[in-house]
Amino acid sequence: MEAVSERELVERCRSGDETAFQELVDRYKGLVFALIARTVQDRSRAEDLAQEVFLRVHRGLPYFRGEARLSTWIYRIVANVCVHDAASRPAAISLDDERAGTHAPPSASDRQFGDFELRDRLEKAIARLPANYRLLIAAHYLEGVRYEDLADALDLPLGTVKTQLHRAKQQLRRMLETDLR
Amino acid sequence: MFCDEALDAVEAIAAGETAPEGRIAEHLASCPNCAAALVAARQLERVLQRRGAPSPPPQFTARTLTRVRRARWRSDQFVDVGFNAAIIALVVALLGGVWMLLNRTGLNAVSGDAVDLLGTGLVSLVRRIAPSLPLYAGAAALLASALAVWWWAEKDVTL
Repeated sequence: MEAVSERELVERCRSGDETAFQELVDRYKGLVFALIARTVQDRSRAEDLAQEVFLRVHRGLPYFRGEARLSTWIYRIVANVCVHDAASRPAAISLDDERAGTHAPPSASDRQFGDFELRDRLEKAIARLPANYRLLIAAHYLEGVRYEDLADALDLPLGTVKTQLHRAKQQLRRMLETDLR
Repeated sequence: MFCDEALDAVEAIAAGETAPEGRIAEHLASCPNCAAALVAARQLERVLQRRGAPSPPPQFTARTLTRVRRARWRSDQFVDVGFNAAIIALVVALLGGVWMLLNRTGLNAVSGDAVDLLGTGLVSLVRRIAPSLPLYAGAAALLASALAVWWWAEKDVTL
């Protein structure tokens, strides 16, 4: 049922129906923006890249053959945009620099602050991961993105997606070793 | 050596994708280092699951559609410029071809007469429409202004 409406939506977009394209943006903007914002960790940059994704979707719709699901095709565009963006911007965040002089061990009585600080350090650690690992971490923990979609979007076997995800988490665990104990 | 094997498995165990069993379960129970890694992996899993999903700004759809329209307009303009350039090139090539043809076939003399005739006709036409020329010029200026305003409005649409 959803596939049929998805196909109809694509056809309407192809025929130049702007309302249909607006519907498409409304349908996927949450997922696209969340994925990108979690990957690039800068809201204004994330908005710019999310718009770029929809621009590419608009340009590519005439060539979309419908062999893959629309969502899979959009994930593929998100992945390309994120990887391209990462390649053009060297990672600038250093976890060690942030830690120096300002980090005190969280006390048991101040768990909320500890959680907040851990989340903050987690974001910084994620920013230091390679772009494809960041995208996997972002997508895997986002509701609605299936392993299969990710595998299709990244052109990787399902097993490789799982292995890369474990490696990403392994790197994160090592970076946050002292915070997680 | 066995620690490496156990440490490779802790992420999958923490994510609930596999259960610790056999040698790995025994090792995790006896090695404090690997047990601590499993605790850390489980905590990391919890923090990652609680990680919030950022929402797009309220004006996201409108801004995206504006950007798409601008890109389409630019692309159309590019096509228009390309088309006009192709037409000009074609006209120039045609004129060049006709000129070469006239030169090679010795029809220059005849064509000279034809040009004179055409010139006379044009002068006569201009004399006839001369009284209405200000009106035509005004209409053309009005149309050009309208086109310029439209072009400027489309060009300066801000996100």
